[in-house]
Amino acid sequence: MTSVDPQLELKNVTKRFGGVAAVDDVTFAIGKGEILGVIGPNGAGKTTLLNCISGVYRLDGGDVRWQGESIAGLAPFRVARLGIGRTFQIVKPFTSMTVRENVVAGALFGSDEDRPRLGAAFGRADGVLELVGLRSKADLPVSAMTIPDRKRLEVARAVATRPKLLLLDEVMAGLNPVEIDDALEMVRAVHQSGVTVVLIEHVMRVIVGVCARVVVLDVGRMLADGPPDVVLRDERVIQAYLGERYARRLRGS
Amino acid sequence: MIGMPASRIWNRVFTALAMAVLAYAVLAPLSSLDVLQSLGMPLLTDKLWFRLATITAMFVVMASAWNIIGGLTGYAAFGNVAFFGIGAYTVGMLITKARWPFLLALPLAPAAAAVFAVLIGLPLLRLRGHYFAVASLGVGVAVGELVQNVDFRGEPLFGGASGLFLPILAVPNRDLYFFYLMLAAAAVAIGVTWAVLRSRFGYGLIAIRENEEAAAVIGVNTTAYKVAAFALAATLTGLAGGVFAQWNVFVDQENSFPIGYNVEMILMALLGGTGTVFGPAAGAVVLQLLIQFLSGSLPITLQIPFVPDDAMPVLAQVVLGVLLMLVVVFAPRGVIDFFGGRSTLSIAYLRRSLRETSV
Amino acid sequence: MAALAQLVLIGLLAGGIYAAVGVGFGLVWGVLNIVNLAHGALVIIGAYLTWQMFAAWGVDPFLTLPIDAIALFVLGYAVQRGVINRIIRAPLLFTFLLTFGLNLIAVNVLLLIFKSDFRSVTTAYSGAGLELGGLVIPYIRLAALAIALVMAALLAILLSRTRVGLAIQAVGSDRDAAQLVGIDLRHAYAVTFGLGAAVAGVAGGMIAMIQAITPTAGEPYTLQAFVVVILGGLGRVSATVVGGLVFGLVEAFGQSIPGSGSVFANAIAFGVMVLILVTRPQGLMGRLR
Repeated sequence: MTSVDPQLELKNVTKRFGGVAAVDDVTFAIGKGEILGVIGPNGAGKTTLLNCISGVYRLDGGDVRWQGESIAGLAPFRVARLGIGRTFQIVKPFTSMTVRENVVAGALFGSDEDRPRLGAAFGRADGVLELVGLRSKADLPVSAMTIPDRKRLEVARAVATRPKLLLLDEVMAGLNPVEIDDALEMVRAVHQSGVTVVLIEHVMRVIVGVCARVVVLDVGRMLADGPPDVVLRDERVIQAYLGERYARRLRGS
Repeated sequence: MIGMPASRIWNRVFTALAMAVLAYAVLAPLSSLDVLQSLGMPLLTDKLWFRLATITAMFVVMASAWNIIGGLTGYAAFGNVAFFGIGAYTVGMLITKARWPFLLALPLAPAAAAVFAVLIGLPLLRLRGHYFAVASLGVGVAVGELVQNVDFRGEPLFGGASGLFLPILAVPNRDLYFFYLMLAAAAVAIGVTWAVLRSRFGYGLIAIRENEEAAAVIGVNTTAYKVAAFALAATLTGLAGGVFAQWNVFVDQENSFPIGYNVEMILMALLGGTGTVFGPAAGAVVLQLLIQFLSGSLPITLQIPFVPDDAMPVLAQVVLGVLLMLVVVFAPRGVIDFFGGRSTLSIAYLRRSLRETSV
Repeated sequence: MAALAQLVLIGLLAGGIYAAVGVGFGLVWGVLNIVNLAHGALVIIGAYLTWQMFAAWGVDPFLTLPIDAIALFVLGYAVQRGVINRIIRAPLLFTFLLTFGLNLIAVNVLLLIFKSDFRSVTTAYSGAGLELGGLVIPYIRLAALAIALVMAALLAILLSRTRVGLAIQAVGSDRDAAQLVGIDLRHAYAVTFGLGAAVAGVAGGMIAMIQAITPTAGEPYTLQAFVVVILGGLGRVSATVVGGLVFGLVEAFGQSIPGSGSVFANAIAFGVMVLILVTRPQGLMGRLR
């Protein structure tokens, strides 16, 4: 499954909180240009894993390698400068700024490569807003935005940092089916602009629609890694997700 | 400018007002505008007005400097007076002990304050909220205490309780000289704020204020930015302190580390609008005039029956406290929103604002 | 060895006062999330009450302590109910400024009433003390330590065993949930602040017996209370008491260093605070909130 030349490699990544392993010995790799789904029930360690990659948490074991070099222990801003962008599940916009200014902030910082000057950053920001479909709302204050739009803004700000790899933390959570379709469209557009995407989701439907490969986590451990249709038929996955009874019924049928 | 709303009418009014005050302050001492004089307009020609104008400019520097760390970066620094005192004592020591000329000593005041800010900022800026606020308050108190009490071989190192007496600077028209010097410092402080709000640095600071974690993951080196903002505030405040030392000719703990300044500069920034370019300066002018008025330093003083004159300065402090309370209680959002141009001030608005913050 | 014992004793006696000052401050901070910059002023109001009753009517200073507590409770309740409650949900800068304003008012009103002269409470037994290996320990200081400990214990029992105490704890841990179970938030907040003020008032009464007071004498106590609470760890009365005693010891030892002295009280307080905040933010005894 893993491509020959992985962009990001996780090797035995482990993170504990007071003796409880939130992420336990997770190993997989992501190839350049992939769009990978990471799914799992609540408390599976998805967000913790993301925090381990983006430098918010320090690892208790294992290694994270980016383009062949270890990035474990780097501060979050250094990880961002290497070209790894991320969003937060609970959106964290800069509320006193307008939509455009939020994205400009992303463009001004982010990846070390090709940093724009202030003037050019506005041009970049408008391009990104176009891509995620927020162009018409560029001058609004964040307070005037709906929840789906705030999620879009979260993605836009991350995209503006010129990432090679984008980690999206439940950008579909809390959206209705129509909004999810719109959001999926946006994720595809971002992916097609040449960014490797890791899509962390609770909702399985989302993953199936857009990812060629998914990794399943449960209580910190990796259960499966493969194409969605194969993984979702894996008995352990069904059990983790839907409980023992449902799994038995599925077996029976 | 970052985070500024579309409606900027109050900003414009403020800018126009500031320009008028500035033009007046710069030109009045130079001219003999007979017409105005005959109308009884004070022309900054006598000592009292020079003193008032210089102090006001000094607070413009301090309020604008506080705005950089408190208003833009969102760290409630309560000990900036330490930088003022360090600036004052740097100039005082260099002139009295090392016999340096004033203009050579002056640049070292902001430099010393900045170095101190970096050293103290590295541990302190890891703290947030109350912890940072009180820790920085402690810095202001502790530095003043150390400066007054540190002995070296039995001798007070920094002049001790009796302070430092500087030789009077031999320049023609000394009052005017120091007024312009302080005014230049104020212009620098405002100019720096203006430039910061139009820079990558400014975006980084405001990102930190709005959400430090989000700022970090978009690639802002939060530690370096916070320390830089703190040092920048210290530089400006230290500059004001340095000018103050030579202007006032006498430096001691009481006039260089007054704890009250900490709150006054914050209140000025809040009154005028934190995070704006001219807001803190406007707040400084308004509040300083009020403070001077209340303490009876203005030609127009108020007489209250049953209150003896010598109790007036104390009463002025009470009034200041009540004012502080009223501003904070009745318009915590109101003042900022209003002067920041985010809303109009109305009873309904104040009510809503009060409802939002009370239980 | 004797010198060491002496230092420990001096430290513990001073620590009792710090604990008494810190407990009320910590209660208000922990429950209301307010760092009360007027805490030192409350302490000194208590001190002046004791002085006034002693100087004007010859009341024994120890008998004034309950009166201090009641008077300060009423004052604290009123201030919280009337003023602080209105901005309790505003950003911390505002509560900071507000309590600074209250401090400014209190101190200057005291200045108007009592002027800036030094006042002290000197009773017939002020000089008496327990002689212990060449060292005289004033009975007053011993009593103050005992009262501080008893008061802290009473407060701890009040908080854990009574209806109102449990309401305060509930409000402190989750405001919204407490409201849902029918607790009157405004009242609970006001009672909390009143209790904090009452303890501060008693501490002030004891301080009046130990040192000469002026209207501005309370200010160092605010910073020291903060340090004591941080030292022990926010959230429990017992932790604050430990913080107070430890701080008394640190100060006693710090001031015994040659070339140092009482003039460095604030610098020592600040040094301890920064050290604790940077190395062990949850305090010596505490859990991180």
